Amino acid sequence: MEHLGMPRLRLEGLTKRYAGITVLDDVGFDVQPGEVHALLGENGAGKSTLLKILSGVVKPEHGTIAVDGVPLKAHSMAAARSAGIAMIHQELQQVPELSVAQNMFLGHPMLKSGVLLDRKEMERRAAIVLKDLDPTIDVKARVKDLKVASRQLVEIARALLFDAKIIAMDEPTSSLMPSEFERLAGIILDLQQRGVAIIYVSHKLDEVLRICSRGTVLRDGKFVAAVTLAETTERKLVSMMVGRDIVLQDHHSSALSDVVLRAHRLSWSDKVKDVSFELHRGEVLGVAGLVGAGRTELMQLLSGLHQPSSGEIYVHGTLRKFGKSRDAIQCGIGLVPEERKRDGIVPLRSAFANAALTSWPRFARFGWRSEGRVRAKVDHLFDELQLRPRSPDKPIGLFSGGNQQKIILARWLLAETEILLLDEPTRGIDVGAKQEIYRLVHDLAAQGRSIIVVSSELLEIMALSDRVLVMREGRLAAELGRDELTEDTIMQHAAVTAAPETMESASWAMH
Amino acid sequence: MGHALTMGQTPRKPRLPVINLRDAGTLIGLLVIGAVFAASAPSFLTQHNLINILQQSSINACVALGMTLVIISGGIDLSVGPTAALSAVITATLVVSGMPLPIALLAGLATGLLCGFVNGALIAVAGLQPFIVTLGTLSLYRAMALIFTNGNPVLGLSPSFRHLFNGSIGIFPIPVLIVGVASLVAWCVLSKTPLGEYILAVGGNEEAARVAGVPVVRTKIATYMISGLAASLGAMILIGRLGAAEPVLGNLWELDAIAAAAIGGASLMGGKGSIVGTLLGAVVLGAMRNGLTLLNVQAFYQLLATGIIIIAAMLVDRFTRGTA
Repeated sequence: MEHLGMPRLRLEGLTKRYAGITVLDDVGFDVQPGEVHALLGENGAGKSTLLKILSGVVKPEHGTIAVDGVPLKAHSMAAARSAGIAMIHQELQQVPELSVAQNMFLGHPMLKSGVLLDRKEMERRAAIVLKDLDPTIDVKARVKDLKVASRQLVEIARALLFDAKIIAMDEPTSSLMPSEFERLAGIILDLQQRGVAIIYVSHKLDEVLRICSRGTVLRDGKFVAAVTLAETTERKLVSMMVGRDIVLQDHHSSALSDVVLRAHRLSWSDKVKDVSFELHRGEVLGVAGLVGAGRTELMQLLSGLHQPSSGEIYVHGTLRKFGKSRDAIQCGIGLVPEERKRDGIVPLRSAFANAALTSWPRFARFGWRSEGRVRAKVDHLFDELQLRPRSPDKPIGLFSGGNQQKIILARWLLAETEILLLDEPTRGIDVGAKQEIYRLVHDLAAQGRSIIVVSSELLEIMALSDRVLVMREGRLAAELGRDELTEDTIMQHAAVTAAPETMESASWAMH
Repeated sequence: MGHALTMGQTPRKPRLPVINLRDAGTLIGLLVIGAVFAASAPSFLTQHNLINILQQSSINACVALGMTLVIISGGIDLSVGPTAALSAVITATLVVSGMPLPIALLAGLATGLLCGFVNGALIAVAGLQPFIVTLGTLSLYRAMALIFTNGNPVLGLSPSFRHLFNGSIGIFPIPVLIVGVASLVAWCVLSKTPLGEYILAVGGNEEAARVAGVPVVRTKIATYMISGLAASLGAMILIGRLGAAEPVLGNLWELDAIAAAAIGGASLMGGKGSIVGTLLGAVVLGAMRNGLTLLNVQAFYQLLATGIIIIAAMLVDRFTRGTA
């Protein structure tokens, strides 16, 4: 069947725009049968868009996908599937209550006499495929009773069941134990020998270097380089992926100014353990750590969304108890949440309404909104933050991510919030807007506001922070001053059990 | 950020459009229905009949005002009919027993507020789903009205009570004027008070509203209380007109109210809706029933037409919404 030299998968000129923003710009590469091809890039580089196009979820503006030299006729999930393209998602797409066999045949059941489900036959065929991967998995077991690693194997088995020629894996090890990676690596090798082409997306560069032969680096939606992984190093890959200079701004020392916020031995559930720190006036305090280190949960405690199981929060030296976010807001603490769409914006309401939402108690007279006064202030803030477009009456959902973030910032500035908690403030924001957010953070700190920035991008933490707290498994692992900040030191403290040589790679496990 | 420039600056000046696009759509729908009936039934387009339509739509419009706020907040209130019935029998009993009218009226309205409070508390504090909670209180409040009256209607409301709700000022019947004032109040609540902004925010994105410091629990409770109040006001108008209170009154009011709100542009997903639209929606339903009656069309076909209008309005909504 295989033609000599014919790539299993050829992508050409893929281009995708969302609301005028080009997220993928003329990207293409080949994958040979039996090749494990790494797709590399930072968050927002266009990897997930490319995977979505590949699996037919998203239609590109331009470009073609060809499998074994035959171009796909349409960009749809059905077309991708019948061409043999399968996708193993980071969040496994399974129905937990159904059995392994039922999940494997989900949406494409086998029927007896055209009507009834042929459960026996489905279980028999599922078992045949699974036997090669892991004979201990019972096809009748419910998926929710399986370990994550086994659930992932079920997904892979599902792909094989339908004769997948190309399997794309999106962060397949993000929820696996290190030992489970070895087994996955073995299975990938087995798939290679069957001639399956694999596209492997992972932040963990040591994994990538071990199992992939070639790779494609994307940055800001553009093709940057095709690399042969045997001839490169993690450091070279990182510089290709980042590829831009983060402007390090002048920092003022704020260590001697007043303490505005003090956390004393805060604990919550098993997510935050015994965390104590101080935040000074005019200071930018970075919080680094791996995913699941408890950074977001710490912000939620400080903003009143959760109540600590033990420990205290002092604002200006006074003990405060936050039963809800409003209590924290009244103490001058405002949260810019990580999940902007889920927790930040009210999409149908205007930019103005979103900015003013928090401040109505202050601007209402006798239960009446006195819009005139608020309008003037919000207009002024939008000017300062350089909101684009300057359309306060347009629904916030129609603004770009960076501008939505500015509107949320305007909300807290209008409320005269003194302590800002920014959780991943530049996630999903394009490069230009990132720089603007950085500038704003500096300006706000210079005006005397105190800011805590949680970020998974080390360069961002280093560019913004006067001081950095590193969290590890819910605990405070280190506090680093400005002159101690390097990627290596941060990662040394953040990584769970990393041996020295894998330090650097661990930085890419964060996202 | 070059893309931002191409998005086009929307004009800054007209901040509060007199009527928004969706409301204009409902109005056009109403005019089309009116034109059809005017052409086929000569008596349709007379002042007397038009006033009559408003009169016939007034109770549904009143209930739908509260329903609109509840729907905007992301909820639903199925218990409006029984709430109205309970308010009606309490007020009627007090009137018949010789209680001063203001007290009897206030007791009825307070009953509506209380019913709404119970709904709101179960939804916002206990965290139950609005559909199920109000489905439960739909039975509960109806049962209470039946038990309270032993299933019998409360007859013989005093003429002075009935006088409050019958008669006209100028050309407008009093119920129409009452609902007019109630609409103005509801519009102000939605557009001019923090509560209105909170209702929109809670319905639009509850989690974001919470993070922004919106008092989510209080907002929801207040919204259901307003709905209960609107339902009991509708009940007052009805028993004033009939001179009696039946414990079974208000049957299926919730469906008419939801229909009016939906025709008027309220989204059952929450976060979106219009008081003006709901009023127009109620009048659309009223005008259609009135017109079909004038044409001597059987009641079955009125039901058919109601169904068609609701679905047509939703389809128009779906296909004109575009990106937002």
